[in-house]
Amino acid sequence: MIEGIDGVRTAVHVCRGNWSRREDVLLTGDYEKLLPCFEAMNVDQLVLEYATPRAGDIDVVGRALSDRQIGLGVVNPRTDDPEPVEQIVTQVERALEYWKPEQILLNPDCGFGCFANRCVNEADAAGRKLDVMVAASRILRKRFA
Amino acid sequence: MFDVTTVGSWPRSPELLKALRARQKGAMSREDFEAIADGEVRACVARQNEAGVDVVTDGEHRRDNFYSFITEKVDGTQLMSLAEMLDTVEDKSSFDEMLDTLDVPASAIKNPTCTARLERREPLAVGELKFVQELTDTPVKVTLPGPYLLTRSMWVNSFSNKVYGDKTDMGDDVVRILRDELIELRDAGAAIVQFDEPVLTEIVMSEDCDRRTFM
Repeated sequence: MIEGIDGVRTAVHVCRGNWSRREDVLLTGDYEKLLPCFEAMNVDQLVLEYATPRAGDIDVVGRALSDRQIGLGVVNPRTDDPEPVEQIVTQVERALEYWKPEQILLNPDCGFGCFANRCVNEADAAGRKLDVMVAASRILRKRFA
Repeated sequence: MFDVTTVGSWPRSPELLKALRARQKGAMSREDFEAIADGEVRACVARQNEAGVDVVTDGEHRRDNFYSFITEKVDGTQLMSLAEMLDTVEDKSSFDEMLDTLDVPASAIKNPTCTARLERREPLAVGELKFVQELTDTPVKVTLPGPYLLTRSMWVNSFSNKVYGDKTDMGDDVVRILRDELIELRDAGAAIVQFDEPVLTEIVMSEDCDRRTFM
């Protein structure tokens, strides 16, 4: 579908559900079974959820797809409290075992309101999640510049 | 390095939801709806800039959901709530049970069902991109539903098989539409175009690939 289209960064986002705040109804498991699919996709960036234990270990994708950019899910869009900045920094440092700093982006696991009538958060809480991601990014840039 | 961005959508305000309901009932003009959505996008982009986000999105305020919104842009599609679809899906009781088990509200989630030959009437997201570019110099990410998600959700047998031979046949048109859109988004200066394929995980992780998922 994107063969031969240059000059724009393309990404694929895959998640395991973002329609309910009930973690037990959302899917659990790592990305192992999706690797052949990811490998076949001609995209620059994978945007994946990693902010909850449901997502499995970063090694699974890290080992196979370190040639791509990774949009690392570092905050859960379905909770009220922002994640601790240090927790985000630690998580990104784990990803640095596979990707270079310029290959890593920080993002939430998914949108804050994929379904207009079923938004999973409020704007104030979403804003605070942005603030902690930016704070973590600033620390990381100093540390790995 | 370590650029911060979002995955696309932002919480909707009560005012926007009210406007969306009115718009879907035909009680509000598109122009009036877009004017309200403009204000929401402005606030959302301002908050991202205030935080210091490196690549902003428009928050998907103009969209009913991240894939159903294409019914506004593509001929041959019809917006249907999952509740409306219940009468037409092949295996009604298992579909109903799945919605219940997964805590999916059948009336709140809408589907872009294929009911005629698909043709892009207007760009899917170029307008969204250009509006954000007027507000900020920060690079912009645009989100689009992926080809697999769209093909899988749009195909509802009782409507779609009157138009296309099979799902793959319709999928060719979906791919053509998305490819045309990607080229236009690139030409308009999108920094990142993200295709959403949430349903992929469900397919590979559930035991029955042909079972109808709600997306």
